[in-house]
Parts: sequence; C-alpha cells; structure tokens
Amino acid sequence: MPTGEARADQGTADRWDVLARARATLDALEHLFSGLGTVVLALIALLLVIGTALTCLVGVGLLLVPFTLRGLRAIADRERARLSRWGGPELISPESVPSGPRAAIADRATRRELGWVGAHVTLGLVLSVVGITLPMYVVRNATFPFWWWSLPQDEAASMSMGLWPVRDLYGAIGVGLLSVAWLVIAMVILPGMARLQAWPGRRLLAPDPGTDLALRVAQLTATRAAALDAHASELRRIERSLHDGTQNRIVAVTVLVGAARRALARDPATAEDILGRAQDAAEQALAELRGVVRSILPPVLTDRSLADALTGLATACPVPCRIDADIPIRCAASVEATAYFVAAETLTNIAKHSQARHATVKVRRDDDRLSLQITDDGHGGAEERGGSGLVGIRRRIEAHDGTFMLDSPPGGPTTLTVSLPCGS
Amino acid sequence: MRIVIAEDDALLREGLALLLRAESLDVVATAADAGGFLDAIDAHKPDVAIVDVRMPPTHTDEGIVAAVEARRRQPGLAVLVLSAYVEQAFATELLAHGSSGLGYLLKERVGRVQEFLSALHRVADGGTAIDPDVVAQLLVRTRPDVQLDRLSPRERDVLALMAEGLGNAAIAERLFVTDGAVHKHIRSIFAKLELAPTDRADRRVTAVLHYLEDSDRRA
Repeated sequence: MPTGEARADQGTADRWDVLARARATLDALEHLFSGLGTVVLALIALLLVIGTALTCLVGVGLLLVPFTLRGLRAIADRERARLSRWGGPELISPESVPSGPRAAIADRATRRELGWVGAHVTLGLVLSVVGITLPMYVVRNATFPFWWWSLPQDEAASMSMGLWPVRDLYGAIGVGLLSVAWLVIAMVILPGMARLQAWPGRRLLAPDPGTDLALRVAQLTATRAAALDAHASELRRIERSLHDGTQNRIVAVTVLVGAARRALARDPATAEDILGRAQDAAEQALAELRGVVRSILPPVLTDRSLADALTGLATACPVPCRIDADIPIRCAASVEATAYFVAAETLTNIAKHSQARHATVKVRRDDDRLSLQITDDGHGGAEERGGSGLVGIRRRIEAHDGTFMLDSPPGGPTTLTVSLPCGS
Repeated sequence: MRIVIAEDDALLREGLALLLRAESLDVVATAADAGGFLDAIDAHKPDVAIVDVRMPPTHTDEGIVAAVEARRRQPGLAVLVLSAYVEQAFATELLAHGSSGLGYLLKERVGRVQEFLSALHRVADGGTAIDPDVVAQLLVRTRPDVQLDRLSPRERDVLALMAEGLGNAAIAERLFVTDGAVHKHIRSIFAKLELAPTDRADRRVTAVLHYLEDSDRRA
C-alpha cells in the first residue's frame, strides 16, 4: 500500500529528525559548557586589561603591557582553537603580538580580540548559564514526583510555576510532566544559543578577510619551500653517497682489473693479489649500494613502526642499547625516516668513537613534535668538526626544520637532543 | 716520470698508485685533499699531477681549483684531471689558459691501462688529453652547423680524435689508415672549418675545441 509506506517513511524520517536534534542539543550543551571555560578566561583577560590600563595611569602598568598582550593573545588563541575544533573554517592566530601600548591600540587584531572579550564575558556568560540551567530544569522536574514531599509546602507549590497547586502526588506528577516541556524548549533553543555564543568569536577572532588569505599563502609557501628543500637535500645526499661511495668503488674495481690484466701479461704471480683487491672493492661497492638503498627508506619503517625499527637498530648495535619509545600516533614517513637515520648514525658513532658501555634512545611525541634523545656513557668530547657524521646528522634535521643539540663534555656523558616537527 | 696523486677516496688512491708503480712509474706522493696536494707539489716538484675533481670539503670542483693553482706555482707542471662524470664546464675552466700539458678524463678510463698510460705520457710531454665523452658532447649540436656538416664521416672521426689530443700517428693507428691519409684529412678539415692550419698537436686541440665551443654558443 503506497500510502502506508509513505506514512512509515514519514515516521522514520521524524524519528531520525528527533535523534539528530537530540544529538545537536547534546553538542550544543557541550559547547556552551566549554564556552563557560573560555568565559572565565575572558574574564581574567578583561580584569588583566583593566588592571593594566588603570596602573598605566600611574606609570607602572607600562611594564605589564607586553605580558597582558601576550596573555590576551593566548586566551584568544584558546578560543580560536576551541571554535576551530567545532568545525567551520579554521581560525588562524595573527602572526605577531604588538610590542607596546601604542602598537596594541593600532593593531586591528588586538582591538577585535578586546571586542570579543567584552562580548564573551557578557553575552557568552548569559548564554552559557542559561544553556546549562535548562537541562537542570529538565532533570529537576522529571525527578520531582520522587522528592516533592521533602519540600516545605509553599516551596513545592511554586514548582508548577503557579499553574496549579502542588499538594499531592498528582500535582507532583504534573510538575514531572512539565520536564517534557523544558526538554522541548531545550532542544529547540540550545543549538541556536550555542551558535549565538560562538558568533562573536567567529567574527572577531578570524583574521581580516584580506590578511587571512595572505597569511594562508605565506604559511603554505613556507611549508612548501621547506618540503622542497628537504626533498632536494635528500636527493643531494643520495647523489653524493652514490657518487663518492659506490661509483668510486666501481672505478677502483676497473682500475684494479686493468692493473691485473697488465700484471697477467708481465708477472702472473702479482695478478692474484691485485685481483683479490679488486674483489674486495667490488664487495665494498655492493655493501655501499645496499646502504644507499636502505638509506632511502628502510623497509622496517614502512612495514612496522618507528619503535620496531629502533629496536632493530639497538639489536644490531655492538654497544648495549635500551630503546624507550612512546609514540602513540605515527608521524609523517619522512619525519620517522629522519629520526631513524639520526638514531642509526648516532649509534654507529657511539660504537665507533665513544667507548661507551651503554646507550639509551628515548623517543617521545609531544603534540606536534617528535623528540629524540640519545645518551651514552662514553668518554664524550664529540664535536662536529671531528668528521664523525655529525654534520650529516645536523643537515638532515635542519632539512626537516628540526632542532639539534649536542652536549658532550670531555669525560662524557654525551647527549644528543633532537626535536622534529611531526608534519601530521 | 715523477707523479703526485690527489684523490680523496683511499681505495682508488691506492689502486692508482699500485697501477702506476706496477708500470715502473715513480709515484712520489699521494694526497687526500687539495691542501695536501699543493704541499706535495711544493715539496716534490713532480712532472705530472693526477687530480680528482671532487674533493673535501665541498666535493664540488676543489680539484680543478687546486690544479690551476698548482700550475700557477709550478709553470709547466703537467696535470691530468680525473672526473667521475663529464662536465664540460670543468674542461673549459681547466683549458682556459691553453691546453698544453693538460688532460681531462673520466675516472673509468684508468681501467683501460694502455690508453690511460698513453694519455698520461702525452700530457707529461706537453700534449693534451680530452675525454672522448667531452668531445662527443661538443660534437652533439642542437642546431646544424653548416661548416661541420661539410665534413665527411671520416673527417669527423679525425676531428674527434684530434680534439681528444691525439697526434697524427696515434690517429692513424686508431683509424687504421696511413699517416699521409691523416695529414690529408686534417688539412681538409682545417680548410672546411676555416681555421689556420698548424701541425702542433696542442695548438690544434685548442683551435678545434674553441671552434666547437664557439659554434655551440652560436647554436
């Protein structure tokens, strides 16, 4: 029956609509609740700004200005992050904090942030409080029939909002049914209230339309240039290891084979020795080629995880080595590869030069950075000029816009600290 | 013949020294970088220097710079530059002040010992040795060259060998023709390219290389 089906469809649609509405209400509640958090922060910012402005009148406040401006920016950034998480266009923080009071007054972004503070501590506060009170009404009324008797009579009577006197259970149940009305009201107005609360932030904390695009372009250009740089330096590294390593080995093989052929004609006894050397050179060429291929991207890194790859390194290292890795989220492949090679190169250095008895590799991911700390108890005194591969390590890290710190006093211990942006 | 070798790769350096000593040539010193090389030149006053182009610290053209400096310190020093790959700019830089006693070869040519030794001797005797690949690069043109197109295939072969720095006898041997035939080809080539004829091998190399580079630039 077509009409019956249509009605059934209608029913399903309504049910889904109610479910979607309920979900939207819960989301809105969450946002109003977290909005209360930034209301408190905005209040702090407001007090800070007012305090600074007042103390400026007697001069001392001028010293507070940079601190206040940074605080204001930090609090506004928190709201930016909160609103960005919620969806919609990402709110990007302006690049720089104005340095002094005059710059701050001239800075449009700061003025807009102040406007947001004003709106958020007034309108935002009211919306949050009302938004959180509404569900409390729902719960209070729904449970009213169970505890109405515990209230003094006139107080209980007021719970029906004067619509009827609450003197018995029926009256109380009537109040309980009012919770449905509250629920409907909450579902109708909460999503709108949450949007209204976010509105000043979305308007005032977004960069000016013009600067927004310029900022995006600047950011993208910078990251793109960094990526291309990293790519180019990686290619240069591969080219160099092929050229100065493998190719030279193979040239040596041809030179030695040439010499051996001449020796065969003249003095076959010496040819044996020369051919032996040629074979050594060929084997070295193979080993180096294998190294280059592995250095492009070790299979274990793509198949397993960075922690597994590092454990593999530790096992192969002649110095006993402990891996302490806590990387719950994977980073970009190129970043993991860099961390891996830094660890590999450093462990090779430790085994070769440090005479250490023990080494530790500690890897952590803190937000958007991967940090790597490699410590050994060797004799220290490592320096970049020693030709120990440290230059190569630094170059690789800098290609990824990371930082590199080496602490190696004579007598040890040596600690290498590396921090890389995760790129994901 | 007293030789100094500058090559940063230890295995290759020792291989070269081994090869040359087996040929009863006198390798008086080896160096791993440009500084050590110039010290060895000052200390030993060799007849020939064999220099790698890429050496520490930057691994770019240290060898060329060091070779030019060595010839400034010891005029008349024969220098044979070895390169891992053909770079016409290196050859041009090296031959900027004449081609007498200069050579530019790919590293792997050393394996063809007979040819390498004859190139080494040629350079030591004030001649020139240019890698066939460099010459081939110069001969590959982007646009047709009217004068070059007038050469017969045989004359082109002779031109290439001449550009490598080979003398008449060596060219004749390579092409399995008589000295007289080579002589005739060369006269014809110089006439067709409108170059002043000369019999001295090094002048010929310079003339031919300049011609090829210029016409390359014209193209």
